[in-house]
Amino acid sequence: MSSEPAGKATAEGPVFEAVSVHLRDILGEYEADDVEITPDSSFHEDLQLESIDLVALAGRLREQYGERVNLAEWLAEKDLDDVIALTVGQLVSYVESCR
Amino acid sequence: MTPVAIVGMAVRLPGAPDLAGYWHNLVTGVDAVTDVPAGRGLPGGRGGFVDADVEAARFGIMPNSVAGTEPDQLIALQVAAAAVDDAGGERRLGDRSRAGVILGRGGYLTPGIARLDQRVRTARQLVHTLAELVPDLAEDQLSAVHSAFTDALGPDQADAAIGLVPNLAASRIANRLDLGGPAYTVDAACASSLVAVDQAVHELSSGRCDTVLAGGVHHCHDVTLWSVFERLRALSPSKQIRPFDRGADGILIGEGTGVVVLKRLADAHRDGDRIYAVVRGCGVAGDGKGASLVSPEPAGQVRAVETAWRAAGLDPSAADSIGLLEAHGTATPAGDAAELTTLRRVFGDGDGAVLGSVKSMIGHTMPAAGVAALVKAALAVHHGVLLPTLHCDDPHPALAGTRFAPLREAREWTGARRAGVNAFGFGGINAHVVLEQVPGAAPVAPPVVTEPDRVLRFAADTTDELAALLDAADSDLRAAGPGRGRARLGLVAPTAKRLALARKAVAKGRPWRGRQDLWFSPEPLLADPGAKVAFVFPGLEADFTPRVDDVADHFGLAKPVVSTNGVGRHGLAVLQVDRLLDTALRRLRVLPDAVAGHSAGEWAAMVSAGVHAPSEVDGLLDRFDPASLQVPGVEFAVLGCAADRVRAALPPELVVSHENSPMQTIVCGPAEPVAEFVREFRAQGVLCQVLPFRSGFHTPMLEPYLAPFRAFAETLTVHEPAVPLWSATLAAPFPPDEAAVRDVYLRHLLEPVRFTALIRALYADGVRVFVQAGHGQLGSLVDSILDRQDHLTVAASSVHRGGLDQLRRVATAVWAEGGDPDFAALTRRPGGVPVDLSAGLVSLGPAAAGLLPPRRGAAEHPPVAAPDPLAGAAGQHPLAAELNDLLRETADAASAVLAATRPERLRVSLETMPYLLDHAFAPQREGWPDDTDRRPVVPATTVVRHLTDAAEKAAPGARAIAVRDVRLHRWLVAAPATDVDLAVRPAGRRQLDIALGDYAGARVELAERYPSPPAPWAVPPGRTPTLTAERFYGERWMFHGPRFQGLTELTAVGERHVLGTITAPAAPGALLDNIGQLFGLWIVETQQRRRVVFPVAMREFRFFGDEPAPGTRLRCLVRVRTVSDTAVDFDAQLVLDGRVLAEVTGWRDQRFDSDPDTERAYRVPERNLLAKRQPGGWYAVFEQWPGLASRDLYLRKYLSSAERDQYERLPVRARRHWVLGRIAIKDAVRGWLWDRGAGPVFPAEILVREDGTVTGCYGFALPDVRVAVACHGELGAAIAGTDPSISISGGSPATLVNPPELPPRQYVVTWRENREQ
Repeated sequence: MSSEPAGKATAEGPVFEAVSVHLRDILGEYEADDVEITPDSSFHEDLQLESIDLVALAGRLREQYGERVNLAEWLAEKDLDDVIALTVGQLVSYVESCR
Repeated sequence: MTPVAIVGMAVRLPGAPDLAGYWHNLVTGVDAVTDVPAGRGLPGGRGGFVDADVEAARFGIMPNSVAGTEPDQLIALQVAAAAVDDAGGERRLGDRSRAGVILGRGGYLTPGIARLDQRVRTARQLVHTLAELVPDLAEDQLSAVHSAFTDALGPDQADAAIGLVPNLAASRIANRLDLGGPAYTVDAACASSLVAVDQAVHELSSGRCDTVLAGGVHHCHDVTLWSVFERLRALSPSKQIRPFDRGADGILIGEGTGVVVLKRLADAHRDGDRIYAVVRGCGVAGDGKGASLVSPEPAGQVRAVETAWRAAGLDPSAADSIGLLEAHGTATPAGDAAELTTLRRVFGDGDGAVLGSVKSMIGHTMPAAGVAALVKAALAVHHGVLLPTLHCDDPHPALAGTRFAPLREAREWTGARRAGVNAFGFGGINAHVVLEQVPGAAPVAPPVVTEPDRVLRFAADTTDELAALLDAADSDLRAAGPGRGRARLGLVAPTAKRLALARKAVAKGRPWRGRQDLWFSPEPLLADPGAKVAFVFPGLEADFTPRVDDVADHFGLAKPVVSTNGVGRHGLAVLQVDRLLDTALRRLRVLPDAVAGHSAGEWAAMVSAGVHAPSEVDGLLDRFDPASLQVPGVEFAVLGCAADRVRAALPPELVVSHENSPMQTIVCGPAEPVAEFVREFRAQGVLCQVLPFRSGFHTPMLEPYLAPFRAFAETLTVHEPAVPLWSATLAAPFPPDEAAVRDVYLRHLLEPVRFTALIRALYADGVRVFVQAGHGQLGSLVDSILDRQDHLTVAASSVHRGGLDQLRRVATAVWAEGGDPDFAALTRRPGGVPVDLSAGLVSLGPAAAGLLPPRRGAAEHPPVAAPDPLAGAAGQHPLAAELNDLLRETADAASAVLAATRPERLRVSLETMPYLLDHAFAPQREGWPDDTDRRPVVPATTVVRHLTDAAEKAAPGARAIAVRDVRLHRWLVAAPATDVDLAVRPAGRRQLDIALGDYAGARVELAERYPSPPAPWAVPPGRTPTLTAERFYGERWMFHGPRFQGLTELTAVGERHVLGTITAPAAPGALLDNIGQLFGLWIVETQQRRRVVFPVAMREFRFFGDEPAPGTRLRCLVRVRTVSDTAVDFDAQLVLDGRVLAEVTGWRDQRFDSDPDTERAYRVPERNLLAKRQPGGWYAVFEQWPGLASRDLYLRKYLSSAERDQYERLPVRARRHWVLGRIAIKDAVRGWLWDRGAGPVFPAEILVREDGTVTGCYGFALPDVRVAVACHGELGAAIAGTDPSISISGGSPATLVNPPELPPRQYVVTWRENREQ
């Protein structure tokens, strides 16, 4: 068991890094520092992702982590308000929980 | 005094079309002072300017009478009405017969009167003078000239003449708003507005009025007014208005209008009015015969301020009496000093109170200055925010004796909210108002400023120039207007972060389209004549929360009724929003070359294309009951994958209804199989969503419900499309004939929407800009379909912001791609008629042709002979004879007129100016054959010398006694040789404007003899400089060679001065150049970084004697005025035997990137490296010259002409790393040579070929050596050896990290010198 606080592990862990890389790619940014992605960044308000972007993200995460990471199922359990408020940190926790 | 409440306010001031805009500018410190806008008829300069329009129809004004009416009357009316609106509307005015209007207004030559003067007097004068000059002109010819001149002024409106009577500024308001109290203007010069407020308070106190609109109006940027202030020496020669700065040197003129609505406080409480602030006291006092008519006088000011505080029953000297004083603050040295004396006398010393002057942001608005200040103070009191003042970088020493200090940034007002407002006028009229927070007021919530997002636009011919443009302080960028050029960048809601991003995007040279509200296009899509714009109209989507009411309001269109209750209402709302935005986009001059729609959006496309007439559609929809619409109860599910994959797994009950994108498909069918299908796909990881509405559109399941749609199809007339209309059913344009159009319309309801194919077809047809003309996520589908293909998608509606702000983004995006949207459509009031505020020179235009017979004689211009140019010219030039008579007494001016038509040409080369070899930026080996590699440049002071020589030549016998506004636009390089025109133009009495090509220009003043010199300045105490003159040149702290080296003794240096002795060198301009060199010593002795400086402007040189013979020793004292990171300003005197020979003020040097790491190699490149040797023998150089201008300085030292040619041919984005790599290679090779005992080697001696291999340049014997190079981020790394290699990647464990001032970045470098290693 890690004694690190969960928040820190998420913020600096490999899954967060991977998710950030995918997001930046989808956002079409030039460089890492052009957009600030933190665990608290929300998909809708901060990153302004649209539904088609989530499709792309789901595909990438599935490719990287295998079928256990199923964003489709995970999102289906949430109601609309939850989806709108979704943050990068929540997604990272989900992906980590699948492994 | 009866307390009076401010219950409404409105302004139109520079940079602030309304109160909200003004507040925003005040809080954020916007500098609204700009260059004179084109078309104002002023010769140049800076000031505060407004654009204005009037809602003519609202006020019952005939639009065609607007032109003949004095503009300030219309603006005052518009602003007064806005103030009444702000107070809650006309019903809040109470008994209108007891409502008055008192406005401050000056008796200046306002544009309406000026235009009348031109029509009546100037037209006659023109003909009169013409008849005198050319006596044989016939009467009908003169009359034709008269007509042409008056016609150029526009139609004469004799019946509108009442609109030129000055007091109508107030009376027109009373008339239009039906106010029966006294309405009049007052003129108390710059105190007018506050005197008007004082009068208003009396009207309210006496009970004669219950409401008074008070304020001031000033719209007069006339040459006469400017000239008055210039003659009074009140205009800032530095063209900056810096109230309470030590270096303040005068005003800049502004214009504007402000009106406040005043009521007795008790009445305002009774009526439940919103109260901004309470006027507690007013005071007005004159100077008597205290001082002169133009000098401000503290005694009168003190009495005005004290009277006001007495009226308020308050003691100004009490400790916490005042939190904010909005000063008159004109930025004239005398005015600021007198006002500070007044403040000290009345309020005493201490600290904690804030001093402000809004003139620093908008200029001096003269009679309207008081109301601009009053509204500012009232807003500060109301919001509890203390506001900043600009340009007070070096506060006036007298501030220290007061309790006041200016703020750099807005901050919360925690103490008692009481403010004072000053307005002092010429002639000795002073006014003061005391404002206070309304008693018992609930704390005002933190101010929420809602105003339009700002749009910044920049354009240049090339990406490089664009980058150079952006290489400026944020505040300068925020104040800049859109330029012209192919490469464009637009930024909305510009934050510091976004501006930084903008610079970065341009540096990379790749298009950036929309993220962070930034659009940048180095090769704009619409610059290609074949490129098209398409509108794509969204249909029904899951989320539908458009925010477009403000768009409807602004353009005067119907607001959509947004409902998703039932598919009928939802569909209707979508159509309304689509059509509203279609109209708005067109008003914004964003026009489609093709239109298409998604699902129901295709109907909006049909209307947009003009296939169905809007009125007919409206009529039909008005009769349509959305609740009655019957559709099948089948469901849609959106699946995050391609249509092929869906079809392969589709059960028989379901059909594909929409092929949205390669990543999105919609299926339709009964609820149960849809749910089952969704479960199955989700399990495979496909994102799925069941849509919240049911219909069965675009599937055969709609067939039984088709009747009402068929009725639509058959009823509506089909027209030829005005814009090509594309079908998503066909993925092609609609067929031309009517029956086929109706057929496609019905097929569209039953067949899948093939959006993917449609967008690809549009792209193939040349569409590059896709505007989503509606609300939804259609744009992201377009992006997903086109993926990396070059295109722009932008949505006209967003959930993230209001509609107008989103339209600003559309306009910005389209502009960045080379479009020409009408940005003003977003700010202009619909129905607003522009008000013309200019009264400039009248040009006859094409009407001038043929009015007079062609001139006799040859077209050739004669040479102007000295010393009696007119006598010489008269024999040859027909006009000169007349001029000779007319202008005999001003022979020099007449000669200049002739000279102006025949510019002299100056050859700039090392042959004509051999001394420039000692003013070369890039040192090279002795005997180096290519002089362009040395970069010999004409010094600024040599330019000045050429300008004075040219002036003295144009006016023989006269001497240049002053040179003003020296502007140095770009380097004037002598190798390769170049020819430059010297153009001379008269600019008033004894003044000539002289331009040296587009390199430099200045105004030269001439006189018969030199004026008597001022006293030499006292020398402040200083220390002995570290450097001697010998070391200063020997160690190349100055790059100048012997013919420019004049400093023979470096005497003393202090915090703000430097003193030395100059022995006059012989080269032209070299004496004055040494002033700059002496300043260079100050930089070297006192500054640690950015020590490379070059002059860019000089405000004024004044000469009091002829230039002394070479070898004469002069004392030179340089006094430093302001120092910032980017520029330094200083003054200097040259003194010969205790007598001042020349004085320069406002010499401005720009500072370039340099630091101790780079400086040695910059100064002595043949012995030092920019790169540092690393353990292992490779070399690392960091790009410590982020600015383009700085980069240019460094690359000139390193590259030979062949290499510079390569550089020029590179794509812009590749240049940075290319230069960094070249420097690294040259340094690695030079380091390698030095390891082997070589002597000095100049960087240019190592030639790096295009393929990256190295050889010696111009005979330099370079042994056989190979190099490898790599660049990453700001690091360039190179290694020399027999078979070297090197590579860099980011990350850790780091080999190197960026120096602290560069972005934090780590590098992992791997290298080897030889392959065998």
